[in-house]
This record gives sequence, structure tokens and C-alpha cells, in this order.
Amino acid sequence: MSEFILSSTRLIPLVTIMGLMIGAFIMPLLKSKKKVYGFYLTMNIIVFVLNVINLRYVAVHGAYLLEIGHFKAPFGIVFRIGEIEAVIGLLFAFVMMMIAWYSYYGLEKEISSKRIGFFYTLISLLLASLLGIVYTYDLFNGFVFIEVSTLAACGIIVIKDKKENIKATLKYLILSTLGSGLVLMGIALVYSMSGHLSMGHIQSVLSSNVIGNENSILISLILFTIGLGIKGAMFPLHIWLPDAHSSAPTPSSAILSALVIKAPIIFLIKIYYLVYGFEILSGTYVLDLLLIFGSLGMLVGSLLARSQKELKRMIAYSSVSQMGYIFFGIGLGNRLGLGMAVYHIIAHGVTKSSLFLAAGSFIEQTGHKMIDDFKGIGKEMPVTLGIFTISALSMIGIPVLPGFISKWNLSMAAIESGRIYLLAILLASSLLNASYYFPIIINGYFGEDNLDGKIFNSKSKPIKTLMPLIILTIAMILVGFMSGTVIDFIDRGIYFN
Amino acid sequence: MAMLWTNYIGVGAIILFGIGFMILLLNNNLIKKIIGMNIMETSIFLLFITIGNIDGKEAPIIVGGKMSEAGYINPIPTALMLTGIVVAVSVTACMLALTIKYHAFYGTIELDEIRAIRGESDE
Repeated sequence: MSEFILSSTRLIPLVTIMGLMIGAFIMPLLKSKKKVYGFYLTMNIIVFVLNVINLRYVAVHGAYLLEIGHFKAPFGIVFRIGEIEAVIGLLFAFVMMMIAWYSYYGLEKEISSKRIGFFYTLISLLLASLLGIVYTYDLFNGFVFIEVSTLAACGIIVIKDKKENIKATLKYLILSTLGSGLVLMGIALVYSMSGHLSMGHIQSVLSSNVIGNENSILISLILFTIGLGIKGAMFPLHIWLPDAHSSAPTPSSAILSALVIKAPIIFLIKIYYLVYGFEILSGTYVLDLLLIFGSLGMLVGSLLARSQKELKRMIAYSSVSQMGYIFFGIGLGNRLGLGMAVYHIIAHGVTKSSLFLAAGSFIEQTGHKMIDDFKGIGKEMPVTLGIFTISALSMIGIPVLPGFISKWNLSMAAIESGRIYLLAILLASSLLNASYYFPIIINGYFGEDNLDGKIFNSKSKPIKTLMPLIILTIAMILVGFMSGTVIDFIDRGIYFN
Repeated sequence: MAMLWTNYIGVGAIILFGIGFMILLLNNNLIKKIIGMNIMETSIFLLFITIGNIDGKEAPIIVGGKMSEAGYINPIPTALMLTGIVVAVSVTACMLALTIKYHAFYGTIELDEIRAIRGESDE
């Protein structure tokens, strides 16, 4: 009996993905908005609970391989669920659930009510494909999931049907197509060298055939880095991000910033360490490239965010700089740095989603978009600005909050790798973060002329619509407080060998 | 040089990839961009099929009795590219639909590339 339970627990990744994909196409058939919403949320709660069970299973029994349809590895598609995959899967399911909850109250004000059903179809397809990217152990399967996630992400941007959305989506789709073309080319090179698509098999072939293949290995590594870098908003390739994230409806912006740009990075990490392995990787300069791009992203992303006038664009540029931290962590090339990159994915996922949803609430209640119009907002919407403040403090790196934990440990990793000058970049980036988040908070809460004529609580939303935001904030604080547990757990599953 | 000559299909695929990539990146016209994307993806299909091909062997379709497996080419790249074609078709369809929308809103299908690359808000 218990054997049966164990073996069916191993099916959870497949069941969640299949369930979401099948459920996605039932939703357009449901007539009323309430039914669609109820159906989606039930599905998402089930996915969340299943992911919790899966995490528990992985914590007890360790990583496992799931052979889909019982075809063995070189021929069939295989999922690999280790500690990192389980925890990232749980993060995706949790954040998506909170955003879907928020969208019930606010979505109809931004998109026409005929499209509500399609929105939930798209986000459940998106969640399924993101989970697929995270779990996959097969290069081509990962590519297909990436394409599905790109198209679904385009859908949730363009669903608002405004002029700037069309343009932003086209830009995103064109650059994404370039990226996936490069990834597919990389897969072709790897396949021609090794004759396999399953990551473990490729590694065993590649590691014994390095000599004579150095150029092909380097070219394919760069193709993967640039291709997935476009999708993950690596600094010079981030140009699609601000338009897409700022013009989309608020729940879409939160999904895009918190989840969609994270999944390709997990895939990139898996390619680096499960396909090539550290020995091949450290023989090339790809990690240094990543470190340089990450550092540039941290600095220039923050500078660009500072110069923005529009609130959502500012937060979008802040995403660019936060992605810089993740690439910085991978680029350090040591165990702690890689672990911190994964931890920062979690930290940024919960923080940025609550930040975007809070900003969306300001815009929804006041009708303004510019940062200057939000002076004195703290008197009108005290709770929402409070949530915004906590999230912003985490972005800046105030102790105990997750942003601080990852910055601290990234500094430790930088020292460990013997490059102390990198601390200056981390410090400068933190100061720049403070310089654009603090004015909003200070102008929102204080200043006599700012608060003139503002009525206390006049624009605040009812507490039930703020519940998802509050839960996200609590989750964020928990991620910070329990950082020791989370980091230990990630460290157990790290691919470093 | 001799290596390039013996792998002429692969070299051609890479050149086609470059052509498609540059059209997709540098051309302002949306329809031309879509054509560039298709050239790029087709070149990858060509490269993949070349990897799986073995001269003098047959396609892995059983007609009138089975040969030994040494008689057939590698079927996996072909099967993968079937999936790749499906992906390319759906992306093309999505981009064409967006182009129609773009034309309806802006009255043109020329993207202003300079502003688009800078990422400035121009609305």
C-alpha cells in the first residue's frame, strides 16, 4: 500500500502539468466569470497542495527521475525533480495562486469582460509550461515548453488590446523568437556532438569527448546563454522587458516579472551544470561573461529605473537590475553563488509580485500612472503603501528581509571567489535601489504639502481585496526569516559536483 | 577548407541562419521580419535533418518487409523537427495576427527600429 502511495507521489509533476493543460481548455466553455474563476482557483489550489506534497516527498526521499510513459531515458522524455525543482515549482504555484486571487477583484477594470475566460486559460497554460521548463531533463522538451510559455506570455500582455500593448507584444515576440532560434541551434550542436537529448546522457558523452570539440562546446554554450538570456532579461538583451511589463494589465505584469523570466534561468542553470558540468564550464569564459553582464545589469538597470517617471516602468527596470543579481550569482561560479542565485529567484518572485500588485492598486484607485502623482498616497491608501514599503525595503536590502539575505550571501560568495572588488558593485547597486524606492515611500507618507487635502483612507481598498497582497508579504517575510532552512534545502539539491 | 566543402549542407544551413537572423533583427517591415524568422527556423530544421542523415540509407518507413536497423537513417531528428515545425507555425500565426492588429492601430507595418531598440516609451 505504502509502495503504491510512494509511486503515485512521483507522478505529481506530470499530473499537475497535464491537469493544468486540460483544464485550460475547459475554461472558455464556462459562461459566467464566477465559474471560470472558481474553476481556475480550485485547480491552482490543488496544484499548490500537490506541490507541497511533492516538496515533502523530495525532502524525505531525495531527487528522483520520472520517466514519462515508462520509456527509458535515451528515447523517452524524462523529468528530474530534485530539491531545487520542487521548491521552485512550489513558488510558481503559490505566487500564481495569489495573483489569480488578486485578479478576481481588479482584472475586469483593465480588460473587457469577454476576455476574462481567455485570461485564465492563458495563465493556466503558462503555469503548466513554466513548471515543465523547471522539471524537464530533456533539452528538446524544454525548448517546446519555452515556446508554449512565450506564446502564453504574449497572450496575457496583448489581452488588454491597447495600442502600446500590441507594440510591446510584437517586440517581445520578435526578440523571443530570436532567443528560441539560438537555443534550438544550440540544441542542434549539442545533439550533433553527443547524439542524445537527455541531459544525463549528454553529460556522460561530452565529458569524455572534450578534446577536439572545444569550439563546438563553446559555441553551443554561448548560444544557450544568449538565447535564454534574452528570455531571462539579461542586461543588454532586456530591451523588451520594460515595455511589456509596464503596458500589461497588473496581474500579467506581476506574473511576467515574478515567474516568466525566472523559468528560463532555471533551465540555463540546468544546462550549465547537468549538460556540460562544471569542469567544461570552468574551462570557458562563459561564467565571466555572465558575471560582467550581471554586474552591468545591476548598475545600469538601477540607473535606468531611477530615471523613469512612470511607476510600473520603474518597477520593470528594477526587475532588470534584480535579474542582474541572479546572473551575478551564477557567474561567480562557486557553490554559494549558485545557491544564492536560486534563493534570489525565490526572494524576487515573492517580492516583485507583491510590489507590482501594490503599484497596480495605486493605479487602479487613483487613475494616475506617474510617480509624481502618488505624493500623499500613504494617507489615502495606508495599508497598500505599507505593503509596498515592506517589499521595497526587501529590494533595497534591509536586514532580515530576503533581499538582504541574498545580497549578504552574494557578497560572501564574491569574497570566497577571491574577487573583493565585486563588493563595490553590490553596494553601489543597493544604494541606487534605495535612491529610487525611498522617494516614493517618503513622499507617500510624509511632508506637509504632500498630505494637504488628502482624506485618510479615502481611496483604500476593502481588506478582502488586499488579502492576497498581505499573504504574499507574509510569505516574503517568512522566506527572509527562515532563510537558513531554505538555503540549506537548496544547497542539498545544488547541481555542483 | 576541405572540411567546409564536405559539410556543405551544414555550412549552407549556418549561412541561411545568419541571413534569417539579420532579416529578423534589422528589417523594419513586420512581414519581412516574419519571413526572416521562417528562414531562420527552416535553416535549423535543415541542420538537424543533416545530422540524422546517413548517405545511402533509407527513410525509416517500413515498406515491404523490414531491413536490419543498419539500413535506415536516424529517425529522431526527423521526429524532433516535426515538432519544431509545429512550434514555428504557431509562432508565425501569432505574429501574423499581431501584425494585423498593429496595422489596425497604427496604419502601417513598419516598426520604428531605433526607438524600439532603445526601449523608450513613445506613446
